[in-house]
Amino acid sequence: MSLLLEVVIKNGILFDSLGILGLCLLGLAAMRLVRRSQSWGGTMMASGAISLLIARLFTLLSPHLITEDFLVKIGPLGVSLTIGLPPLLLTFGLAGIVWGLWGHERWLREEIR
Amino acid sequence: MICLSLKTLPPGWLSGHLLPMSFPPILVLGSIDAIRPVFLIVMGLFLMIVAWRLCHSSTGWTARVIAAGALLLGLGYGLIVPMYHAGLIRPYSPAAPHQGDVSIAMAFHAVKILTMNGGWLLFGIGIAMHAKLLGKPAPRRALAFVSPDCIPTHTSAPHVSLIRSRH
Repeated sequence: MSLLLEVVIKNGILFDSLGILGLCLLGLAAMRLVRRSQSWGGTMMASGAISLLIARLFTLLSPHLITEDFLVKIGPLGVSLTIGLPPLLLTFGLAGIVWGLWGHERWLREEIR
Repeated sequence: MICLSLKTLPPGWLSGHLLPMSFPPILVLGSIDAIRPVFLIVMGLFLMIVAWRLCHSSTGWTARVIAAGALLLGLGYGLIVPMYHAGLIRPYSPAAPHQGDVSIAMAFHAVKILTMNGGWLLFGIGIAMHAKLLGKPAPRRALAFVSPDCIPTHTSAPHVSLIRSRH
């Protein structure tokens, strides 16, 4: 195994944290865009970044947090939610970010006219 | 007509491997199993297009970082993740590392980690630079000492520098 591959595979948690950091920055920047310029694209981008962040954090933490006792405690509805919600959040998060970026780009074009 | 003909198909045709050869590929793309990968491909491409529209008229570092992040995300969402969904790449699992070709699975796993996380990091940094989140806060002007004649009548927002007018 090459050294680069080994570094990337063994430090997966470090790279995942960098991705989480990027999503946090994206959410904060989108909120700042909303506050400073009332760009509706910023609102969409912020909500998308937050839902993507929640889903990513759940995906990363669930192997450590969700045990059999926890699953028994939350019942069938909770188990269904833990299975169904993360893909929904990932989907709506990505769509929100892309839609928000498009809206912000249109808003910028209208601003310079 | 379509409903009647779908009922005659064997179970598992949605996954593609039992699909008759006479079906055009557009039906495979529109099947329920393929909706999520197709959605990811469309979103990845759209993200790259919008980022290019946002940044192509600017040469600053903000535009470069946003474009680099969007390119990495477009590669990840448009190519790598759909290949995993389509079953073309076997996912790497540290719990069972001896299934299939380990080196290929590890290489694609590393590419996925780098493109997705690097893409979100660069894209987040770029949007944060665009929103002036990372810079120092602008010093407050002593407005009391500024004559009203000096205040410009039209001030553009500080973050419109990404798109420049061509007129």
